[in-house]
Amino acid sequence: MFRKVSGALLLLLSVIILIWGMSISLSSPSPDDREEVVFWHFWSGPDGEVIDDVIRRFNQSQDLYYVRGVSMPGNNFDMKLFLSVTGGDPPDLINQDDPIVADWAFRKAIFSMDEIAPLEEVEQMRKWLLPSARKLGEYDGRLYAVCNGLDVRALYFNRDIVEQALRREAPDELESLEQLDEIAKLCTRYSDGELTQIGYLPDPRRLWVWGSIFGGDFYDESTGRVTPDDTSIEKALRWMQSYRERLGANAVATYRQNDQSLPNKMFPLLAERYAIVLDGQWRVRDIEAAQQATNKMRGTVTRYGVWPLPSVSPNGKTGWVNGNVFLVPRHAKNSKGAWEFIKFWTGIDGNEAEAARTCAAGGWIPVSNAVAESPEFQSYLQSHPLFARFVELAATDQETTPLVPGANRYYREVNNLVQRMMYNDDSVDLSKELTALAEDMQQHIDRIRYRSLYQEGPERD
Amino acid sequence: MSVGSKGLHRWSPWLFISPWLLGLIVLFVYPFIASLVWSFTEYDLLTSPRFVGVDNYKRIAREFIRGEGFGKALWNTFYFAAVSIPLSTVMAIGLAVMLNWKVRGQAVFRTLFYLPSMVPMVASSILWLWLLDPRDGMVNGVLAYFYETPPLWFQGMQEGVSLPTPFQFGSKDGLALMSFWGVGNFMLIYLAALGDIDASLYQAAELDGAGRFQKFRYITLPMLSPIIFFNLILGIIQSVQAFTQVYIVSEGTGQPAESSLLISLQLFLTAFRDLEMGYASAIAWALFVILATATWGLFRSSRNWVHYRGGRL
Repeated sequence: MFRKVSGALLLLLSVIILIWGMSISLSSPSPDDREEVVFWHFWSGPDGEVIDDVIRRFNQSQDLYYVRGVSMPGNNFDMKLFLSVTGGDPPDLINQDDPIVADWAFRKAIFSMDEIAPLEEVEQMRKWLLPSARKLGEYDGRLYAVCNGLDVRALYFNRDIVEQALRREAPDELESLEQLDEIAKLCTRYSDGELTQIGYLPDPRRLWVWGSIFGGDFYDESTGRVTPDDTSIEKALRWMQSYRERLGANAVATYRQNDQSLPNKMFPLLAERYAIVLDGQWRVRDIEAAQQATNKMRGTVTRYGVWPLPSVSPNGKTGWVNGNVFLVPRHAKNSKGAWEFIKFWTGIDGNEAEAARTCAAGGWIPVSNAVAESPEFQSYLQSHPLFARFVELAATDQETTPLVPGANRYYREVNNLVQRMMYNDDSVDLSKELTALAEDMQQHIDRIRYRSLYQEGPERD
Repeated sequence: MSVGSKGLHRWSPWLFISPWLLGLIVLFVYPFIASLVWSFTEYDLLTSPRFVGVDNYKRIAREFIRGEGFGKALWNTFYFAAVSIPLSTVMAIGLAVMLNWKVRGQAVFRTLFYLPSMVPMVASSILWLWLLDPRDGMVNGVLAYFYETPPLWFQGMQEGVSLPTPFQFGSKDGLALMSFWGVGNFMLIYLAALGDIDASLYQAAELDGAGRFQKFRYITLPMLSPIIFFNLILGIIQSVQAFTQVYIVSEGTGQPAESSLLISLQLFLTAFRDLEMGYASAIAWALFVILATATWGLFRSSRNWVHYRGGRL
């Protein structure tokens, strides 16, 4: 009896394994005569469809490589990648948008592009990229990541509200920070003593932007020290604090800028909770969708505009940029195929028209003037004037989050400090807080650097 | 029976439990030992671990004393547990007692009060984000009639080791309030325990002239005390493990200004964002020691307030 039961169980197990094995071989889409490139990304929904289309076009153009895109949630992307690297089976290519390039490069988690591609092609790529796009991928003089889409910030404004407050036409550009303050004050409204609309409120996460505009540097490359206590950054913080002093910490927290991350119609600019909002080019899509919906309903269409950030200091940058970057993890099996796909997506080497098509479909900013100036993309810009302003800005002198090991935590801690200051009515000694932050972060970064001295080798092949 | 089948027969229990055994070794025993070893190393997941002695534990002690990092996260977790566990217990017992009353539609009420526990954590967290929105949330919509400045909930900071200010609820209070949503699970256990209380105890009390409150105080509560004890320990463990709701409401950062950074999120960020797996392992072990001590303390104190039928264990 026991033998019969065991035999039946074994048979059942064999059938399950057989069916599972067959399903694996059936689901593998890679054509036999081409090498597979596994590409992890975090896009889904409408953006995911754009990605699928790029992959499809690349695969059609190729006889050597075949890209298989894998979409996974962005929240735990890093964790999955590290586990795959540790387990010895990483993807061939990934896309990321966190400030991790220096950290991962320092820890030898990713290849430098000159390790996977011919040197002359890498040099060509460096020259071809916009300066801001290049900066996002460079660490220690080498190109570790290739940017495939820039995220540029500017000030969106509700033209109707601003013009009503100013009683004249809204300016094309802001002449000064004082002008922004003035318009913000005029557009702030109260009803029965209760705040109902905020003109402008600096987002606690954006000291990175305003610090750069004020001429501050968050990192001193020559000394290798982080400098959040830079006097210009402190000035920027004091300016942000002036908004809290005027509106009160309670109002700032209630109208938290984080709710800007809400999508589509919930975007507070569209909901008229704010008259002016600092945000990225992806909001153009939300604004246009809202305008089209109003048009369909035959309602009055609200007009919006975009201002570049006002100039504050002669040393100041024009803004702060981040973006999506391609990275090739160490131990990737098909790094050459990954490089070909990077070239196709970014548009270098005769792929400009394809890249322009991708950028237009996703509402993404090209990483090279060659793509931005292509006829395909120019025609897109003509029908999307708000977006065109962001493309212009991308080519200017934009600052990035410092490319230094441990930047992820540095980024987080700076934001924490600003939140403490903006959401709290108690006075805070800013100089002291910034100095303490600088010391703490320097220790954190030094700990990572110091550790490397004890490593036996650069990688564990 | 042949010799071969005898051998198979001897090993068959092991074969049958082997899937579970394999899971236990791979998913529990190995990580348990590995994390202990890593807690004495610097390990970034990408390169080999380097032995650093008790440096990670020294750092934990330093942060604990200064109220930074680990210290802050531990305080946040303690606060969350101290507010949510007692209130959840009171609520669950209260609901269970009421749902035990023989009234019309008892089954419907029981289902209604249990239903929220079945909503996935992600969905309920997003729902609570909306409910507790300081400006447009339904909760503040009601509170606005009574208070000039309604609470900020998830946008509110409670800095440092500070006690709650009345009606100025912040992010941790919001998280505690959210935990009531899942009170149905505890309620169900209390409900089962209530059904298990011998009716003759109540009858005897009634003969002695006990009223409703006295019956609750001197019969229901003592008879429920083993379950309260069990739920208390479970509640502490759940508070330490609270992750999903914190991750969602604080956008994965513990914002604003780390005021909602509970220990599980701190551990996650340290291990997988800052790539300090050695230090994260040390945090996990420090937490294990704290939890074990708290549980031991509860067991010791249980002699004085937990009543088992047929005497103490």
